[in-house]
Amino acid sequence: MKIDNSIDYNQLSNILNKYKQEKRFTLAILQDIQTEFNYIPKEAVFHLAEYLNIPVSEIYSMATFYKALSLTPKGKHIIKVCNGTACHIRGSNILIDEIKDLLKIKPGETTADGLFSLEIVNCLGACALAPVMVIDNKYYGAMTKEKIMEVINEYKEAAYD
Amino acid sequence: MIKENRKILVCCGTGCLANNSYDVYTQFLEKLKNTNIEVIPQVKATGCNGLCEKGPVVKILPDEISYFKVKAKDVDEIVLKTILKGEIIDRLLYFDLNDKKRIVSHKDANFYKHQHKIALRNIGEIDPKDIDDYKKRDGYKALHKALFEMTPDEVISQIEDSHLRGRGGAGFPTGNKWRTCSNYNNNPKYVVCNGDEGDPGAFMDRSIMEGDPNTVIEGMIICGYAINSNNGFLYIRDEYQLARKNMQIAIDSAKEHGFLGKNILGSGFDFELEIVRGGGAFVCGESSALMASIEGNVGEPRAKYIRSVEKGLWDKPTVLNNVETWANIPPIIINGAEWFKEIGTAKNSGTKVFSLVGKVKNTGLVEIPMGTTLRELVFDIGGGIIKNRPFKAVQTGGPSGGCIPAEHLDISLDFDSLGNIGSMMGSGGVIVLDDTTCMVDLARYYMEFLSEESCGKCTTCREGINTMLNILNNIILGKGKLEDIELLESLSETIREASLCGLGKTAPNPVMTTLKYFKNEYMDHIINKKCPAGVCKNLTSYSIDKEECIGCGACAKKCPTSAIIGEPKKPHIIEQDKCIKCGSCFSVCPTGAVKIGGALIESYNK
Amino acid sequence: MKVIINSKEYQGLPGETLMELAKRNNVDIPNLCHKDGIEGQGRCRLCMVEVREGKKTKIVSSCVYPIRDGLEVVTNSEKIIAIRKNIILLLLLKTPNNDYIKSLAEEYGVKAPDRYVDYKVKENCILCGLCVKACEKMGTSAISLINRGTTKKVSTPYDDPSKDCIGCGACAEVCPTNAITMTDKNRIRTIWNKEFKLVKCSVCGKTFTTDEALQFIESKLGKKEERICDSCRKKIISEKFKESFKYF
Repeated sequence: MKIDNSIDYNQLSNILNKYKQEKRFTLAILQDIQTEFNYIPKEAVFHLAEYLNIPVSEIYSMATFYKALSLTPKGKHIIKVCNGTACHIRGSNILIDEIKDLLKIKPGETTADGLFSLEIVNCLGACALAPVMVIDNKYYGAMTKEKIMEVINEYKEAAYD
Repeated sequence: MIKENRKILVCCGTGCLANNSYDVYTQFLEKLKNTNIEVIPQVKATGCNGLCEKGPVVKILPDEISYFKVKAKDVDEIVLKTILKGEIIDRLLYFDLNDKKRIVSHKDANFYKHQHKIALRNIGEIDPKDIDDYKKRDGYKALHKALFEMTPDEVISQIEDSHLRGRGGAGFPTGNKWRTCSNYNNNPKYVVCNGDEGDPGAFMDRSIMEGDPNTVIEGMIICGYAINSNNGFLYIRDEYQLARKNMQIAIDSAKEHGFLGKNILGSGFDFELEIVRGGGAFVCGESSALMASIEGNVGEPRAKYIRSVEKGLWDKPTVLNNVETWANIPPIIINGAEWFKEIGTAKNSGTKVFSLVGKVKNTGLVEIPMGTTLRELVFDIGGGIIKNRPFKAVQTGGPSGGCIPAEHLDISLDFDSLGNIGSMMGSGGVIVLDDTTCMVDLARYYMEFLSEESCGKCTTCREGINTMLNILNNIILGKGKLEDIELLESLSETIREASLCGLGKTAPNPVMTTLKYFKNEYMDHIINKKCPAGVCKNLTSYSIDKEECIGCGACAKKCPTSAIIGEPKKPHIIEQDKCIKCGSCFSVCPTGAVKIGGALIESYNK
Repeated sequence: MKVIINSKEYQGLPGETLMELAKRNNVDIPNLCHKDGIEGQGRCRLCMVEVREGKKTKIVSSCVYPIRDGLEVVTNSEKIIAIRKNIILLLLLKTPNNDYIKSLAEEYGVKAPDRYVDYKVKENCILCGLCVKACEKMGTSAISLINRGTTKKVSTPYDDPSKDCIGCGACAEVCPTNAITMTDKNRIRTIWNKEFKLVKCSVCGKTFTTDEALQFIESKLGKKEERICDSCRKKIISEKFKESFKYF
């Protein structure tokens, strides 16, 4: 894995300075880093370990345990397809296959142009609208194969205009 | 038709927001500003009304008119007709599919009529961001009563007397928990809210946190007073952004109003509350993993031979309850234990919120007295199965629960009855299944879910679930053998007995209950190489019954691979080598001529 | 504190776990993730036993179960044996080529169904977590359990050579299944993708630890240590001991 020397340490310090140097803030800080950088850069892991005075291995354990955190950069838009039970029995698998086809990526991956990441999530709590898909923070309910193409194209057009 | 105190309530829960209810809300504000009207109605963005599927929901008070599926472009008409002239717009009313009629007030709809709201009492009625709305509906009255009219001991006694049981799953008596914790003098103690709702198919906690955050806060402060704790944590699931936002706003305004912080309402009691954002791990809904996560560790559970009321967060005495439980506390304090016990059954007092989802006509959140039957829930409130297909089973309690077949439709929905038949209440997700759901696939689905969500700490859960998943995958692919059933049963038993935490111990439930009630489906998969529901592609084939086919061509039109041929008004046939088994023909056929067969049907035909 | 294990009475000490009591009295409870001096983890689940609670019995993991007065324990009931066998089966499916797990399977007469074993799997780690605990006890915490669920494994951060690792080998020593590769060759030790210079014992001349490990201990103790291996150190102590008792 390449070493990220490119991260902005000011940005990182701004995040760290919001929190006291207490272990209990590890997850909160990692969440903020994820939001700010779109992933958890390697340098940030080492830096955080030093800031909180806990072993690097422990921070690394956290960063690999929690699904909300990613060690590789995520796409500009994150597509979350719900595969909760209600969505599953209303055909979420068909949606997942369609997106895999359209974007040529598997769940957990990011498109080559960095525009989309695909994630499968377990229940977004919008079961009444099953099957549900969320892009960034916008919910798309009662999704069909046909609607997916439309929605994804909207994002593509917005990006390449 | 100008009414004083008129209110327009626009539902802005996650479900309705997904259908652009915020646009409806802003459109109302805009339109009313530019309308010549004497008394401008108040417009409120409220929490979830429950019937998310028919959203956005708009309620007009005090007229009691409810409109469903409202779009921003409908707003002009609503203001002109309903607000100014008092006319009802028929097309926006709730349409009862079974009674075939439109209903003016949602309160008369079957979906709402049977409900009894305690935990959800304010949701959809107030603006969750406005603490005054909450106060107007008896908000923080319970806190006031507890602090100034009751001793901590009396508060605990009242909760004990109410027989309130934890709404998060196991149904442990809440008062009991508080009492034990209050008896330990190892300070500081902690009060924790489990808002890590992760059971797929359950979203009551999300709705409460989004729609009535203050009730959770009030419940927690009262507990803090009762057990002598000054610190609380709200652990909220990572995916629930709106819940976190509304909760934070509520905490801030509670502080401003003196309900939180130092010397609450001048009583001398201090209580601080902090939100902790989850990291996206189902296992953190397990109490010891949740506490590990708050402490800043990986969310691995620990053995609970010493309970968290004695050694919980940072090894200090801790009371942990789930969101719905907290929401029940203020009404119990205000109305008393006797009032609460009159609702529900003897050992299961009060109500329970269920999220009714799946193949049911009315999906959404439902709060009903404990002891209501499953039949009432699915058929009276839920309106029955979509397209009136046959009811097959419900899955309750998420991945830790089990399925309940039609023979138990008259079971009373309470902790004990559900436990007795091998399922569990869990957080209250009720997923309705019809004849097109394959029970083997459903069991496989839950095993896959759990194998992804297992923290991996103990052997039985990590390796055991994964092995069961491999076996089920084999069965679904048509490679199952009879001895697989024995292995599944034996592993289930070991995982149940030997796993470290509740997640692992209950993980085999979906397999155990489907094996108990639907063993014939497993046998069909293994011996006959057939999936009766037509879900497992390797074990499914479709064919058209020549006698029943009327040659309408609907199937041929729908078929994505043009595998169906036939002349108009003559029986059609499916070319098996082109068929991808999507089932479109089956669902579109008006006469039921398309038949589901097993993997071998092709050779029978030839 | 009286505890009855398999109908025999034992005297328990306050704060003891069932496993500690059993070990102290040479009562055999099979386990993979327990070591003296390391607190019970409850990971491997092999130490499940049956305890009586009123009229009911309950199955608990002895390495984390706190004893109490009057506790009745059965370590080898039919139920327990069945659980143990299934756990060994699960471990065998995970590490089908590991000698230790294979011998356990043989001892218990466990055979894995061929259709579910992949003999190509080279895995030896059963995720007992002892190595991580040993590393933590050393004060280095160079390795940890990463990922979750079936993808869980033990590693240094990013699988890189860790600056915290001192090559002491405590992890390899404590491992029940020999899953950690440590090679000492030409005065070089290789472990966790990192190379260390080995130090020779000033008495016997054999290599016994790494430079980094010595420095780490010296910095902890705040003084220089003599470069003497464990067995020579023991010899010297016993010599001194004999010397001092010569005149009695």
